[in-house]
Amino acid sequence: MKHLMLLSIVATLVAFYQSSVTYAQEKKVVDKCLSCHADIGGAEAAAYINDIHYKAGVSCADCHGGDPTLDDQDAAMSTVKGYIGVPKLSAIPQICGKCHGPEKTPFKSKYHLNNVMDDFVASVHGRALTESNDGPQCISCHGIHNIVKVSDKSSPVYPTNTCAKCHSNPDYMKKFNPGLPVDQYEKYLTSVHGERNKSGDPKPATCVSCHSNHLVRAVKDPRSPVYPTNIPQTCAKCHSSKSYMAEYRIPTDQYDNFKQSVHGVALLQNSDLSAPACNSCHGNHGAAPPGIASVSAVCGTCHQANADLFDKSVHKTAFVKAKLPGCVVCHSNHLVKPPTDMMIGFSSGSVCGNCHKNNSTDSAATLILAMHSILDSLTTGQKNASSLLTHAEELGMDVSDASYSLKDVNQSLVEARVQVHAFAVPPLKDAAEPGLKIVADAQKSALSAINEYYFRRQGLGVATLVITLLVILLYLKIKQIERKKAR
Amino acid sequence: MNKESKIIRWLDARYSLSLLEHFAEEKKVPHFSGSFWYYFGGVSLFLFIVQVITGILLLMYYQPGAQTAYESVRFIVTKVEFGWLIRSIHSWSANLMILSVIIHMFSVYFTKAFRKPRELTWYSGFLLLALSLAFGFSGYLLPWNTLSYFATKVGTEIVGVVPFIGKPMMELLRNGSDVTTVTLTRFFGLHVAVFPAIFTVVLGVHLLFIQVQGISEPESWKDAPESKKKYIPFFPNFVLRDVLLWLIVLNVLAILAVYFPWELGGKADPFAPAPLGIRPEWYFLFMFQSLKFFPAKILGLDGEVVGVVLFGLAGLLWFLIPFWDSRTVKGHRNRILNYAGVVVILYIIIMTIIGAG
Repeated sequence: MKHLMLLSIVATLVAFYQSSVTYAQEKKVVDKCLSCHADIGGAEAAAYINDIHYKAGVSCADCHGGDPTLDDQDAAMSTVKGYIGVPKLSAIPQICGKCHGPEKTPFKSKYHLNNVMDDFVASVHGRALTESNDGPQCISCHGIHNIVKVSDKSSPVYPTNTCAKCHSNPDYMKKFNPGLPVDQYEKYLTSVHGERNKSGDPKPATCVSCHSNHLVRAVKDPRSPVYPTNIPQTCAKCHSSKSYMAEYRIPTDQYDNFKQSVHGVALLQNSDLSAPACNSCHGNHGAAPPGIASVSAVCGTCHQANADLFDKSVHKTAFVKAKLPGCVVCHSNHLVKPPTDMMIGFSSGSVCGNCHKNNSTDSAATLILAMHSILDSLTTGQKNASSLLTHAEELGMDVSDASYSLKDVNQSLVEARVQVHAFAVPPLKDAAEPGLKIVADAQKSALSAINEYYFRRQGLGVATLVITLLVILLYLKIKQIERKKAR
Repeated sequence: MNKESKIIRWLDARYSLSLLEHFAEEKKVPHFSGSFWYYFGGVSLFLFIVQVITGILLLMYYQPGAQTAYESVRFIVTKVEFGWLIRSIHSWSANLMILSVIIHMFSVYFTKAFRKPRELTWYSGFLLLALSLAFGFSGYLLPWNTLSYFATKVGTEIVGVVPFIGKPMMELLRNGSDVTTVTLTRFFGLHVAVFPAIFTVVLGVHLLFIQVQGISEPESWKDAPESKKKYIPFFPNFVLRDVLLWLIVLNVLAILAVYFPWELGGKADPFAPAPLGIRPEWYFLFMFQSLKFFPAKILGLDGEVVGVVLFGLAGLLWFLIPFWDSRTVKGHRNRILNYAGVVVILYIIIMTIIGAG
C-alpha cells in the first residue's frame, strides 16, 4: 500500500514536471507556481493540469499575477510583481476578459477566441454582478481550474444543468430578481425538449438555445431572443429547419403559417404584445404541443367567452367523441385567419360545410343558415346605415350623433360573433338585437337628415322668391316715385 | 279720420313728428355716378342689426365654458328648430358685415369724404371697423372647436410679440398665460356685452355726425355750378334704395346660409397638436401671411416683432389720414393718396389669396 502511495506521488510529480517542462518549453520558462503548489499538494494545481487553459499555455500567474520564474515564494508572490492572490469574484470577468475580451492579442488569434466579455457585461448576469459581488460571473457556469471545452461532455456547460444551479435556487434568485420563477428547470424536464435531452439527444433546445449564452438579456428587453415579438423567430431557428427537424418527423411550416395568421400579424406586424407567440399556447420552459382535449382550454386562456360557450355546446361532446381538436377544427392552429361571417354557412369560405350537409337530411342546416342570416342582417344593416349617414354628411347635414351611435353596433357584432360558439339561434339573436335597433335608428336619422336637407332648399326657394318679389316691387315703387318727381 | 292718422296726430302733439317728417323731406343726398358706394354704410348697418337679432337668439341656448360651449352650439345646429339657420346667418352676416365695413371705408377714402369737416366721422368709422374685427375675433372662439381654438391661440400669440405691452396684452386677452376656459368666458363677455355696448355708442355718434353734416359731396362738385349737382330726397328715395339693397343682401345671406352652412368641426382639444394649415379668419389673413414672409431677423431685431410694429404703424397712419393729407384739405387733388389706396387694396387681396392657398 505504502509503495502504491509512493508510486502515485512520484507519478504525479513526474506528470507535473513534464507539464511544467511542456509549458516551459512553450514559454521558455519554468512555471514555479505550479510546481511549488503541486509539491504542497494544492488541489487547484492538481486540477489545473487538465484545464484547457493550462494546455494552451496559460500560467497561474496569467490570472493570479506574480512572477512564475522565481524560486523565492515571497518574491514570486509579491504585490510588486502584480500578485493578486485569489481574485474577488466580481473581478473575474476582467481577468478572463484579458483573453476573452475585445482586445486583440496573438494568443487570441492563435486560438480563435471570440470577444464574449462585452456580451457578458451587456447581459442580465453582467448587470447582476455589478449589483452584487455574489452575482454570476464566468466561473459560476464554467467552473475553475478544471475548465474543459464546451463540447466536452464533462463540461458544466454541456448542455444544461449549469443554469439550474442558480435559477432553481430560490434563496439565491431572490437576491437579484425575487419575481422570477425558479421552476424553469423542473418544467424543462417535463418538456419535449427536456425529455429528449435527458434521453441523450443533444439536438433539442437547452437554455442557451433560446436565451443565448453570454448575452442573456431580460425577457422584457426587446433585444432579447425571448422577447414576445422575437419568440417566433427564435423557435423557428430549429423548427423551420427541414434538415434539423427531419429525424423528428414534425412539420416545419409553423412559422410560415404563424406569420400569416391573425396572431402573427398582430404580434409581428402590429407589435401587439397582447397577441400570442409560440409559448402562449405551447408553454415556454415546459414546451409541448397541447393535447386534443386541451386545445379549447389553451385557446380559452385568451378567448374565454368563446371557450365557455363551446364547452357547453353540442360540438364539445361530438368533437371529443370524434377525437377532433376543438377550436382548431374550424380555425386551424398556426394559420388562424381572421374569422369572417362567411365561415358560418355553406357558401365559399364557410367551414360548416366541412362536416354538415346543406339539405334536409342534416338537421343542423336550418340552424346554420339562420345564424348566418342574423349576422348578415347586422353587418348589411350597419353598412347601409353608414352609407346613408355618409350621404347625409356629404350634403352638409350634422348626423354626428347617429354616426357615433352606429359605432356601438361593433360591440353588438362582437357579442353576436362570440355567441356563434354556442351553436344556437336564440342567444345569437339576443346579442344581435341591440345592434339591429341601433342600425334602424341610425337609418332613420340619416333619412330624416336627408329629407331635412331638401326641405331647407325648398324653404330657401320660397323665401328667395318672396324676397325677390319684394325687391322687384320696391324697385318699381322707387321708379314710380322718381318718375312722379321728374314730372 | 282713420285710425292711423289719429295715432300720428296723437304722437305729433307730443313729439313733434312733423318736424321729423319735414327734416326727412328736406334732407337731400348727393346723387352721382359713384353714389352707389354710399349704400355700403347702410348695408353695414343692416348686417349689424342682423347680427344683433341672430346673436340674441343664439344667446338663448349658448353656454360658455370648455365643457359646454361646443356641446351647446351642436345642440343649436342639430336640435333647435332653425338653429342651424340662425347660426349660419350669424356667422355669414358677421363676415359680410366686415367686408361691407371695409368697402365702406375704402369708398370714403377714395371719395376723400374724410376731409374737413368730417374728420371725426372718419375716426368714429375707423373705430367701428376695429370693433367689428374685435367682434369677429372674439366670436370666432365661442364655438370652442379645433380651428377656433388654435386660431385664437395663434392670434393672441401675435399680439404677444408687440414690444413692451405685447405680453401683458396677451395675458389680458387670454385671462392667463394660455387659451383656456377662462379665455372663452372672457371672450364671451366681450362679445355679447362690452363690444355691443361700445359699438352702439360709437355707431350712434357716427350716425349723428352724418346727420348733422350730411352726406359728403364728391370733390368734383366743389367748383361745379349748382345745375350740375344732382340730389335725391333722403326720404323716401334714398331710404327705399337702401331697403332694396338690404333685401338683396338678405337674399344673399339666406342662400349662403343654406348652401354653405357654417361648419362646426370637431371639439377643441388643448392637448392635441395643432392641425396643419391653421390660419385666422380671412380679414386677418393678409397680415398673417405677411408676417410669414418677414425674415427671422431684420437689423438684429426679431422679424415678427418688426412686422407687427410696421402693421401697427400702417394702421395708425391710415387712421390719421385727415391729419396728414394736407392737399385734400386745401382743396387740391391728391392723386398719390389714390395710388396708395389702390396699392393697399391690391396688397390685401394678393396676400389674402396667397394665405388662403
